[in-house]
Amino acid sequence: MINIQDMRDTARGLLTKKEVRAVIGYRRSTNGMLAEPVVITDPAQADELIWDPTCFHNLSLYLVEDRKFLTHVRKTADAPIAIVAKGCDARSIVVLMQEHYFERKDVYIIGMSCEGSGVLDERKLAAKGIRATDAAFDGDDFVFATAQGEQRIAAREVMADRCLECREPFPKEHNAVLGENKTGRELNAPFTALHRFEELDAGARWKFWEHQFERCIRCFACRSVCPMCYCEECVVDSISFPVTGQTSAEEKANRVRWIERSATRPENMTYHMTRVLHLAGRCIDCNECERVCPVNIPLRLLNNKMEREAREEFGYEPGASIGGPSLTASFLDTDPGKFIR
Amino acid sequence: MSHSQAEVTQAEASGEFEPRIVAFLCKWCSSAGSDLAGVSRMQYPSNATPITVPCSGSVSPMYILSAFKKGADGVLVSGCHIGDCHYIEGNFLARRKIHLVKELLGFVGIEPDRFRMSWVSAAEGAKYSNVIKDFVEDLKPLGPQNKMKADRS
Repeated sequence: MINIQDMRDTARGLLTKKEVRAVIGYRRSTNGMLAEPVVITDPAQADELIWDPTCFHNLSLYLVEDRKFLTHVRKTADAPIAIVAKGCDARSIVVLMQEHYFERKDVYIIGMSCEGSGVLDERKLAAKGIRATDAAFDGDDFVFATAQGEQRIAAREVMADRCLECREPFPKEHNAVLGENKTGRELNAPFTALHRFEELDAGARWKFWEHQFERCIRCFACRSVCPMCYCEECVVDSISFPVTGQTSAEEKANRVRWIERSATRPENMTYHMTRVLHLAGRCIDCNECERVCPVNIPLRLLNNKMEREAREEFGYEPGASIGGPSLTASFLDTDPGKFIR
Repeated sequence: MSHSQAEVTQAEASGEFEPRIVAFLCKWCSSAGSDLAGVSRMQYPSNATPITVPCSGSVSPMYILSAFKKGADGVLVSGCHIGDCHYIEGNFLARRKIHLVKELLGFVGIEPDRFRMSWVSAAEGAKYSNVIKDFVEDLKPLGPQNKMKADRS
């Protein structure tokens, strides 16, 4: 059981001693139960920090934002930045460091172990018809404050799928860590949802995806929320194409556009498949993309498919080590090749 | 319009389905292999449009998806045999990447026969012609690829 005060004290200590320039954490949002990300720079703000089942955001996104900002203003950081990270978030920070997006010394990781629990899936709670104003961890249960009084629900029932299948609820990479290491507590077997989906035949799978890709509105929320989608120029936009007074209409028309921006099924398919291939071996299953999707496209299935392929065929685990090779820039002599004629 | 394209269009006019194949051939082996098939006057279907790339490892998944989006009925990626890569390890990297693409295409429900990879060396003109023959045979019963094809009408 994590004592929230310990986390606040850690953050306050770091800021007071000026060991870090800021702490990225969670605070209570103005909208009732949910947590929201916050960056604090003043030790006095440390008491705003919270830790509860609604802390589902992957905060490593803000490390990427911070690095982008520093590059933009052409400054170098004088001190590391601290971040509150769950097991999955810590893995995504490892992937970012593996790709040399920033160095280990640039970040101070305050690890939070999810222990036997995980974070809440709002949709599961809504399906139960519970409207809560506050949520808290309590052993294997979540305790919600509702208008009818306190309501206690087994965490398993309303926990996000990825947390049920989580293999590493303890942040291995950390500077300070709170909570016990309960690695190996797997509540559901990994890839349960994926296995269930793959039992369908190809025709049924196509029917399913045809419908899903039809619905995408190309808001790019999945791209914006993903800490791994940090490219300056996305293959989808071609924003850096220089358009000057001399650029002819023909040049503009003939430039390579791999994916059009129109939200039609073939374009959406190409976008989503490209997205998931670019995330292969990098996605650590924080599932933020699926959570923010306004039309609820089950992106986790696609991500999981790649993750499982990497794990079973290439023995690759994303976010395992900072110095390790990346999935698509390395190979083994034993890689499968039977499909090649 | 090249000779092969003209033939395909002609066949389409006669009502029989002729699949269009986009073949990404590596410059050092498969492209030379297809050349050998040509200069040896081997007979094989003219459905494949070859695109020479520097190495099979340089084939981005983007190329493959884009080919399907632009209406290819089948996509072939062909490179040097394992161990023969001009750039030492390009085809090892390709093998990994292409495996992921193949799995993903199958996962969303696109017929697995629409995408193929082969190793064809510069001396294997006969193998190249067989690869294309087999591919066309397998594609014909599948009919046109409409799942990913963008509607440009």
